[in-house]
Amino acid sequence: MVPISEYATVAVGSTLSEAVLALEKAQEEYCHTQYSHRAVLVLDSNKQVVGKVSQLDFLRSLDPKDDKIERIKDIRKFGFSSKSIALQQEQYRRTAPPNKDIYTKAVKLKVEEFMQTPSEGEYVNEDTSLDTAVHQLLTGHHLSLLVTQKKKIVGILRMPDVFAATFHVMKEVEATKLGEDIS
Amino acid sequence: MKELERLLDRIIQRVNINLRELEYDVNPLVQKLIPPNQMTKFYAFYGITPHHPLHLQFRHSNLAGSYFLGKCSVTNSLLYKSDIRGDELKQKAELFQYQEFEIPVAEDEEIEIDDSFLIKTLVHNFSHDPETLEKFFIRDTISTHYANIHGSPSDGCFLGPFSTVDLTTIRDCLVGTFSYIQAGEVSHLNIEPGTVWVRSPETFNFLYRFPLQRLNNYIYFAAGGSPQGVFIDFVEDRKEAFQRIFNVVNLEPSVSVPNSASLDRFAVIRPKTHISENVLVSQRAFLQNAWLGKGANAQEHSYIINSRLEGNDITAHGAKIIEADLGKDVFVGFNCFLRGRPESRLTIGQDSIIMPHTIIDVHKPMTIPAGYLVWGLVTDEKDLKNNSMSLKAFSKINTRFSKGDMIFEGSGAEFVTVFKERIQHILEANGAFFNGHSNKGHAQQNQNISFNTIQPYPMGEQEGLYPTIIIRP
Repeated sequence: MVPISEYATVAVGSTLSEAVLALEKAQEEYCHTQYSHRAVLVLDSNKQVVGKVSQLDFLRSLDPKDDKIERIKDIRKFGFSSKSIALQQEQYRRTAPPNKDIYTKAVKLKVEEFMQTPSEGEYVNEDTSLDTAVHQLLTGHHLSLLVTQKKKIVGILRMPDVFAATFHVMKEVEATKLGEDIS
Repeated sequence: MKELERLLDRIIQRVNINLRELEYDVNPLVQKLIPPNQMTKFYAFYGITPHHPLHLQFRHSNLAGSYFLGKCSVTNSLLYKSDIRGDELKQKAELFQYQEFEIPVAEDEEIEIDDSFLIKTLVHNFSHDPETLEKFFIRDTISTHYANIHGSPSDGCFLGPFSTVDLTTIRDCLVGTFSYIQAGEVSHLNIEPGTVWVRSPETFNFLYRFPLQRLNNYIYFAAGGSPQGVFIDFVEDRKEAFQRIFNVVNLEPSVSVPNSASLDRFAVIRPKTHISENVLVSQRAFLQNAWLGKGANAQEHSYIINSRLEGNDITAHGAKIIEADLGKDVFVGFNCFLRGRPESRLTIGQDSIIMPHTIIDVHKPMTIPAGYLVWGLVTDEKDLKNNSMSLKAFSKINTRFSKGDMIFEGSGAEFVTVFKERIQHILEANGAFFNGHSNKGHAQQNQNISFNTIQPYPMGEQEGLYPTIIIRP
């Protein structure tokens, strides 16, 4: 688990630009493992986590939000494949007027506009077993879980850390088995 | 009258229950759409021929101005100026082919309409659902002006004006204004106005969506008002001509009709119209200065004005052809609106397919080459380029293709083949290939239909409701 004090955080009301800088700073400062942080937690005035902005959310904020694109995405309900939807989006983008302001507009966005609110399945208690945490990551398709101590969020359990811990256990089991075979 | 109002409330509630997942309330759309006193004004009528089994049952319903042909049962429903055509119902002991199955039809197929409100709707059969061969059901459904329910069992749906559900079993769906759906089986979908969707699962999928702002000029429907736009103005302008033919008991045809052709007595024929052999003109069709070549047809609610159809052309239900010249074997799909101008005629080359719900509305002469597929909204050459393709080129698509607002996935060759087979079936069923002895179809079998009329209670609690009526041979 990464203690929340070592994770990238921003306050509600921060801009996309501030969130990116916070992530960059936290990545530079955190050097315990080879895996860098990939998200920013959003805190309210009581320092409670109210949202999470992943790298995917950052990119999503740059995706043009015009009605036509939304209408194209809607064709999935008619049974079209992702490839066909992408084809029509690409064709539209080729003919649509260029959107030069896309980055200028995006950096001014508030984090609340594109953050994800943690769902019930994204919280684990600090004494939860590794197996349970793995199960929660898998069933919810999450990239990280928020670790709680009573009602307070004290850290973040990232998928790379869970992967590393699981791999470490696996190596230990193998080494023990090898030792038993030799003796 | 009270009972009629209660019946409408009951139908609205049932449809809303079915559409609750889509969070849709049909009440503001339909509560005042047809004033109750309109529903007491008109008689209903049914056709008798030696070719169609006679078995009609009406219970606790209003049938104002509606027409019935073929086995049908109507219960707890309001049918306003609708056509319930049952002349392609499956007959007992027929074998229905579905994929590798040959399914025997256990009894004569019946159209069964329960708890529904159909306004100026065409119901026609030739349903393809192998799960319900003997019952073509329409339940808890509201359809609005000039909708087509064509071979499509429907349960818990709302159909907007000028929409079509074709060969599709549809449940708990909202079909937007001027949308066309042919998709096999669909449920719980909210289909926005101006959607044209043709899907054969695992084989192909075609989708076009009209630019809504431009479509609104032609047809627009919102809560609290009646449908409005060019389409409505067009039919309203010609409404009086129909009132006359419904008011007169005996009406001699005003044009010469060959023995192999059929001109329905409830069609409007205006001068200089020519009808060739094997032509079928259905009820509520409107022909004015129209030249119909051998085997051409004009189906219900179609309008052909100042136009020439060379032969074996199909004018599907609700299609309108104005100031146009069509080569042979041109298919004009449901609710198409094709309008040239006297000085800017529209010419369509032979073997072309104008997809259902296509609008071509031009102020400069336009020629569509032979063997073309056209869809969507076309008002100039640029639109035509974006919304058409030769059938040959379309047949070469084998993965996916997108052009303008159209997207296609699957086999273009299969798509074209299915359309051509369907066209062939329509021509056969309509008697276009009758040779004097064999290949009889509707054009030959629908001649000399006798019409009987039925009336509702004239006043009191039951005003507007028809008594229970069972009509047997």
